[in-house]
Amino acid sequence: MRQENMRRLISVASLVVLALVFGFTSSGFFTATNILSILRECAITGIIAIGVSFVIITAGIDLSTGAAVGFVSMLCANFLYYYALPAELIMLISILAGTLCGVLNGFIVTKLRVPEFIATLSTQYLFRSMVFVFAIRESGVITNKKITDPGILIMGGSINGIYLVTITFFALAIVGQLILKKTKLGTYIYATGSNRKSADLSGINTDKVRWTVFIITGFLCGIAAIFEIGRIGSATTDLGTGLEFEVIAAVVIGGCAFSGGRGDIFGTAVGAIFMAVLQNGILKYNLPTAAQLIIKGVVIVIMIVFDSVYNQYMQKRIQQKSNQDTQMAGGEA
Amino acid sequence: MNKKMDIKTIFGKSQRLWILVAVMLVLTVLQPGVFLTAANMKSILLSISVYGIMVCGTIFPILLGGIDLSVGAVAAAAGAFTVTWIVDHGFTNGAVVVGVLGGLLLGAIVGVVHGVIVTRFAVPPFLITLATQNIVYGVAQLLTENNVIACMEPASFAFLGGGRLLEIPFSIWIMFFMAILSYIILNKTVFGRNVYAVGGNAEACRLSGVRSRMVIILSYVASGLTAALSGIVLASMNRQAIAKAAQGYDNYVLTALVVGGASLMGGEGSILGAVWGAFLVGVISNGLRLVGVASDYHGIVKCIVIVAAVALDAHVRYKKSGLQKSSSLFRKKEKA
Amino acid sequence: MAALLEMKEIEKSFNGSPVLKKVDFSVEPGEVHALMGENGAGKSTLIKILTGIYPKDGGQIYWNGNPVTVDNRKDAASLGIGVIYQELSLIPTLTVMQNVMLGKEQSKLGFVNAKKMKQKVTELIEKYGFAVKADEVVETLTIAQRQTVEILKALSEESKLIIMDEPTASLSAKESDALFDIIEQLRKDGVSVIYISHRLEEVYRLSDRLTVLRDGETEAVLTKEQINPADVVRLMIGKELSEATASNSLRKSDAPVRLKVDGLTKKGVFHNIGFEIHEGEIVGFAGLVGAGRTEVMRCIYGADPYDAGTVEFEGKPLSKQITKNIGIGFGFVPEDRRNQGFTPLLSIEKNVALTNYDTLAKNGFVKAAAEKKLGVDMVERLAIKPGDSQIPVGNLSGGNQQKAVLAKWLSRDLKLLIIDEPTAGIDIGAKDEIYKILEKLAENGTSVIMVSSDLQELLRVSQRIIVMRKGEVFTEFSSGRITQEDVLMAESGILTKEGEADE
Repeated sequence: MRQENMRRLISVASLVVLALVFGFTSSGFFTATNILSILRECAITGIIAIGVSFVIITAGIDLSTGAAVGFVSMLCANFLYYYALPAELIMLISILAGTLCGVLNGFIVTKLRVPEFIATLSTQYLFRSMVFVFAIRESGVITNKKITDPGILIMGGSINGIYLVTITFFALAIVGQLILKKTKLGTYIYATGSNRKSADLSGINTDKVRWTVFIITGFLCGIAAIFEIGRIGSATTDLGTGLEFEVIAAVVIGGCAFSGGRGDIFGTAVGAIFMAVLQNGILKYNLPTAAQLIIKGVVIVIMIVFDSVYNQYMQKRIQQKSNQDTQMAGGEA
Repeated sequence: MNKKMDIKTIFGKSQRLWILVAVMLVLTVLQPGVFLTAANMKSILLSISVYGIMVCGTIFPILLGGIDLSVGAVAAAAGAFTVTWIVDHGFTNGAVVVGVLGGLLLGAIVGVVHGVIVTRFAVPPFLITLATQNIVYGVAQLLTENNVIACMEPASFAFLGGGRLLEIPFSIWIMFFMAILSYIILNKTVFGRNVYAVGGNAEACRLSGVRSRMVIILSYVASGLTAALSGIVLASMNRQAIAKAAQGYDNYVLTALVVGGASLMGGEGSILGAVWGAFLVGVISNGLRLVGVASDYHGIVKCIVIVAAVALDAHVRYKKSGLQKSSSLFRKKEKA
Repeated sequence: MAALLEMKEIEKSFNGSPVLKKVDFSVEPGEVHALMGENGAGKSTLIKILTGIYPKDGGQIYWNGNPVTVDNRKDAASLGIGVIYQELSLIPTLTVMQNVMLGKEQSKLGFVNAKKMKQKVTELIEKYGFAVKADEVVETLTIAQRQTVEILKALSEESKLIIMDEPTASLSAKESDALFDIIEQLRKDGVSVIYISHRLEEVYRLSDRLTVLRDGETEAVLTKEQINPADVVRLMIGKELSEATASNSLRKSDAPVRLKVDGLTKKGVFHNIGFEIHEGEIVGFAGLVGAGRTEVMRCIYGADPYDAGTVEFEGKPLSKQITKNIGIGFGFVPEDRRNQGFTPLLSIEKNVALTNYDTLAKNGFVKAAAEKKLGVDMVERLAIKPGDSQIPVGNLSGGNQQKAVLAKWLSRDLKLLIIDEPTAGIDIGAKDEIYKILEKLAENGTSVIMVSSDLQELLRVSQRIIVMRKGEVFTEFSSGRITQEDVLMAESGILTKEGEADE
């Protein structure tokens, strides 16, 4: 079996196992409402994870996505409250602001040559800071104002029980998969992450590729922010805190390797659903929040370690196989 | 000779020292009679003492080219453990000793887990420390049951973060003590030598018989220990434990280290630089506040400072590697 | 008919020392032209000028009779010059088709036309009968298959001239044969090949013409009829040099055996390696790139695991742990100096001290004065320049870096030093110094294993020379008068003198 398919199978299998565990040990897991709600919960993480998959396939990382969503959401809430802009314009602003976050990340990484993780960690502080800059205040105190614009609130709604955000997620995932597998950009993304030097030698502008994936991620953060405020109906200052980690965990569980060049959006979508199932299932046990956090954290750590071990093992096997083939061929020497 | 080297390691990154001097000069001029006073300096030192303590241990994984993003969570959990133990065991001095040791042990255990996962399973350090951050944070919540747990007694505990020795807050003494300890370990022991060497070239170290794996694990333990200590000091300072106590401290620590000249590629950096960096971060925060910049904007400044420091470093490195290129060209000539 | 490629009076010097002195070189359409010469003869430099990696100092390149300038790789590619690199430059996680078409995908609005590309690549594969499929992922292929992908890449760019630099270095005999068939095909197809190799038998078998370079000059251009291994070797080395560098000092040692290797095997890398090293002996390991010498040494030292066989040190089985082996008197100077030899940011003193903390420290604390003294002593003893033990090793010249790496071991009570390519990339003065160090070590009873590709060096320093070939011990020279020709021929699998095979 091809390694890609093998890895996909593992992602799906771990999702199935997890779902079965919850299905048998808690009540009300395998119901239509619950499944729809899981698909809703996975969508925000999933949308951003599409972009972060691109980044990780180029062997980069983006730690700023949670803060970017927080910042963009607050920006939108701010403009809605103070200027009462129409919903369409707010959405445009959201996407634009998100994209700009991506542009900034890409600039710092490719032009200033700051390593991805430190660059996006520092922009995380920046975006988090911007949240407070744009926070709505009443006599100097940050106040959480309800969003009343129906055009925004409808984004948190559903059609025939299927949430808009879920539909958007699946649509974007398909587009993402198409980009990766069917376009030049997709091939270049793999090439950049798998062997940057060779990609450069083949005439690919890898810096441009790396910048592009950050911009795509920012763009998706903008989209995610719209759904986030649409669902919650307001923007709090800690919105999006820790989201970047959920996203990265989803991507890793879905089979994108940090060394770059491996993984796809199919896996990432599975990973996002895995994260949502995990969250949803743990909630059903009625445990204290602290215990939930710990269990969730431990499961993620196990998945991360497994992924790393699996990658090492595959690498070794490939190496051995190629060595053995050489030896077999050389047997008659 | 040795002394010259040490001075060189501080002044070698002189642009950073000059940043500190320049910032202080500007603030002195802008805020005459307010900034450059003993009281204000003391308050800066007090404000940096908690992450100043952290820096002394977090520098170890950084020197290896790794990172520990869990320090904030570990600090919270250790503080929570110490406080809850003291509260549960009747506020005795004995409970303080056990509580503090237990808190430190907790930090050390987290460090061992990090070290083992990084060395055995080759998981990127930032990822695993980010992942365990959530677990450790959960532990802190579990210990505090998501409440604020007050702990005003006994005096021995309150002294750690709130006491004074020779008019100087005790937490500042702890910071200096940790800095000296860290300095000694990094500069006077075989372990310290190995940390720099492994950070500079792990494979060469392995071939030279250095037990690189052990060096890495112990470095994460050092990071966990100082994070725990700082959390305990913070809890004592605030006279309370709360799961969110040290949220965001990882970014203070990182800023301090980067500004202090530590390279995130490993192998470069000094404890003196790191303490300078912590001080600079403190001065900048203090200065921004004095000048009247709302704390909301501090993250922006932090971002700019980190990016500027690392970009400068990357630029210098790039220029250097350009030189290396020509030297390797020279090498190839002989080999050709 | 004009030559496809003509390089006339090409000159190049690095830092004032000439590497190519008015070299002429030409390739006819559809010919396989071998380029040979000793290390340092200027082959790589000539090729790098042809492919635009180095600018030339003088001379002119003609393509189909027209003068052309080649300033970068792209220029070379657009002329139709393809290069198969020694370090393969493929993207491991992409398919064969994606690799072949990388950077020149057929696409519409950014969407690639996979079907059309696959068809094109499959056609190429079928035409030449390559043993790969268009949709196989490159990382699952053998090295030989990856090479054919590189060739495909060149062919898909309609290259008229393909340069192959030591293409068979890591191939098995059968795989090499397959490659030769491909080259045969290319020739029939009118594609020219520049074939750079040290392997005489291949050159003999393949090439239509052969150019020998020596010391940056064209020594001879031979036609197929004129090629015979002995002559070629003589041309490469030069008569006087051959005489002057011949070794009369080969001898067997009566001293007790220090290291005994028996049946050492690592699947796919080396097979059934056996030899003995005596006390105070310098044994050279000769062989071509890919013969497995470095790999054997790393396994003995404990840096890599092996599959079968035994290693005995002074009669006892040897540990597989580096730290333990260092404890009983091992030293190891690796081939890849920059990546494995030293820590560039650290000073000479700290690098030297790294292996010596068993004596330089007490209770985990470094004895700073002793550490410093060792640094100063070593700088003085080995005349490392500049003479300051506080300078980072990364800032030293190649020769001084190598001395610093050696210095790590010299203060120890060394029983066995394994040194891999001791003088690669080092100037002549420093070479002599390093040889003297090795000789002195041996005089004091240290056994030295020296892996080297430099024939002069092997003959000058070694007391015995073991020749490895394709992962096995081929022969051993331990007596009589041995010249560079003898060693070179043995490396290619031709025995001129009765070598005494091990046991």
